[in-house]
Amino acid sequence: MNSNFSCQTCASADQKLETFISKLSVETSHHRMEGQSVKCGFGLQGICCRLCSNGPCRITPDGPKGVCGATADTIVARNFLRAVSAGSGCYIHIVENTALMLKKTAASKGVLKGKLALAKLAEIFAVEEADEHVRAEKIADMVLADLYKPDYVKMELVEKMAYKPRFDRWKELGILPGGAKSEVFAGVVKTSTNLNSDPVDMYLNCLKLGISTGLYGLTLTNLLNDVMLGEPSIRLAPVGLRVIDSDYINIMITGHQHSIFAYLQDRLIQDDVIKKAAAVGAKGFKLVGCTCVGQDLQLRGQHYQEVFNGHAGNNFTSEAILATGAIDAVLSEFNCTLPGIEPICEELKIKQICLDDVSKKANAEMMPFVFEEKESQSNDIIDAVIAAYQARRGVVALNIDGDHGNDDTLTGVSEGSLKSFLGGTWKPLIDLIVAGEIKGIAGVVGCSSLTAGGHDVLTVNLVKELIAKDILVLSAGCSSGGLENVGLMSPSAASQAGPKLRAVCESLGIPPVLNFGPCLAIGRLELVATELAEAIGVDLPQLPLVLSAPQWLEEQALADGAFGLALGLPLHLGLPPFVTGSPVAVQVFTQDMLNLTGGQLIIDDNAKSAAASLDAIIEKKRKELNI
Amino acid sequence: MKRIIIDREKCDGCLNCNIACISAHQEGSNFYTVDLQDPDAQARNFIKYDPQKGYLPLFCRHCDQAECVLSCISGALEKDPLTGHVQYDENKCAACYMCVMNCPYGVLKPDNKSRTKLIKCDFCDDKPDDPSCVKACPKKAIAVKEVSL
Repeated sequence: MNSNFSCQTCASADQKLETFISKLSVETSHHRMEGQSVKCGFGLQGICCRLCSNGPCRITPDGPKGVCGATADTIVARNFLRAVSAGSGCYIHIVENTALMLKKTAASKGVLKGKLALAKLAEIFAVEEADEHVRAEKIADMVLADLYKPDYVKMELVEKMAYKPRFDRWKELGILPGGAKSEVFAGVVKTSTNLNSDPVDMYLNCLKLGISTGLYGLTLTNLLNDVMLGEPSIRLAPVGLRVIDSDYINIMITGHQHSIFAYLQDRLIQDDVIKKAAAVGAKGFKLVGCTCVGQDLQLRGQHYQEVFNGHAGNNFTSEAILATGAIDAVLSEFNCTLPGIEPICEELKIKQICLDDVSKKANAEMMPFVFEEKESQSNDIIDAVIAAYQARRGVVALNIDGDHGNDDTLTGVSEGSLKSFLGGTWKPLIDLIVAGEIKGIAGVVGCSSLTAGGHDVLTVNLVKELIAKDILVLSAGCSSGGLENVGLMSPSAASQAGPKLRAVCESLGIPPVLNFGPCLAIGRLELVATELAEAIGVDLPQLPLVLSAPQWLEEQALADGAFGLALGLPLHLGLPPFVTGSPVAVQVFTQDMLNLTGGQLIIDDNAKSAAASLDAIIEKKRKELNI
Repeated sequence: MKRIIIDREKCDGCLNCNIACISAHQEGSNFYTVDLQDPDAQARNFIKYDPQKGYLPLFCRHCDQAECVLSCISGALEKDPLTGHVQYDENKCAACYMCVMNCPYGVLKPDNKSRTKLIKCDFCDDKPDDPSCVKACPKKAIAVKEVSL
């Protein structure tokens, strides 16, 4: 373990977490920020190209073109499309596995907990099978068939799922996606050495990937998971480091593929397993949520109250969660599983198991999930975790901050649960918006990062500014993990909202920031937006609705962002997505996109001015709707 | 006086010092927004590459016996008695470029666009802290050190 790390940790919007981390004797990402504080200007602007051995070429005043002749505009567009392709690939991997899981669950007559979600999908897909297992398998097959089409064959479910005015616009623009996996392939090919050099063509390609990512990787992953794991329902839940109970054998889960844990999480609370835990001195097993799969479990927590102890924190809280010493194992199946957890696991004797090799950690045991072997695999995992528990407890010091987080985070919000909360119709929400009691809606989504002021700093500050302006915030992604830990998703946060939104929240007993859970649930926000637009009878760009990914982190977020722009929504980012070195990119994203899809990129790392810009857009849209 | 000291062994040739210098002299810009394609974009520092010796960062040394000051016929270049830095007054410059010809290190250049003024390191004297290039070097190949006059 490196003991020479910086003692200077970065700021966090979560003061208790910042203090906790600053006192740790293990190194975390928060410690490493200082050593990485000097950034490469060419990288930040996206004008470094290393696609061939003549490079890396950088655009400078003395070298305005790469050796091949590529301009800044070409280099930036290639880099950006590559990133969006990779990000799309990540989400498509998730939906592919989820659909395969549903197919196998249905074929083996397994339990399908989400009857409403199944009915909803059957209706959208026009599947009329009476038997629920046959119906579910057919739905899974239809999703898989689309994912596996070549790029020159359009996916069939796009038209069934997309809002009609959007579908028509996408068709006009020629950006309807072919098979989602092949589209990732096409994006990678297009951006290789001396292939496409047309920035506009590449940005349109990004929108196409945004559509396949959004409708399949996001929206469908949620709905397919709902069928298997149960629909979210609204409830209050504890969050933060306080959820860790050292009396239990604790497993921290990281990733995005909730269904991989479906069998295991039920198994962990069966009598023989609890007896095994008791035999080594523990009360039983608990899952501790971290990253998006934790958010997903929290969202459906109503169905998993016994095994799930709560969501402890987002991606950049994972190292701190492990440093409590009370976690006995990490089970990971996707990102955001930081490489930084490895030395901590090593030092604190925490067992690492990977269930999907895409997220294989260097010192983890690989146990690729096999549906047909899930019973024996789960038993192997349980035995391995018990062995780790025995080897480490009593040897490793415990350091749980029981004061961190809160017990009353409102969770379980989804397109379905929110609508039922409102009485089965969107009318009450629309009425509040029309009356100006809620000025508009902001989807504050995406990741958590340590830039833009520090861990969740811009996200939290922006959200505070927005709610003060009577804008209702819906959050999905690691942003939720930060917002809930600082108390903005607790009903008492209503006092931080503007007078009108505060009154609405207090009368309904809800916080001004609604927790949709994981980043995958950006797809749920899209469903909410679409259903609202449908109810009002307008297209999405006309809604007083804005998106912000203030602390976007990774390639997946860029694919999400491309979806937001394809939907025609204004999208705020705290930091530019490595495109500012290209005048064409800046023009396309901040101006021309308005004419293409109605979307627009706004870059601002200042919470106050960013909130003012988003507020002005909402005011403008309200005016255009005459409300 | 303070001077930029170079440790060429540490230089990776990333050119971040170039960007920092251009940004420092492009008002209101930062690393994201600095326009490197602007005709006025010109760094006051240089990285040369020698296949045998590797990268050579070239920075204005604000020399004790500054040839540029000695050769300046209009009084546009003067050595500040307090800071020891060679200062340039554009208004006094006749653009004869004797300074460019006499600089032993080749770091002085006429401006690319109009060829009417000198592009020269000002040690970011108008900014707090160290010069922008020094702050931007990820390898700490350049550092500000106090040297006796």
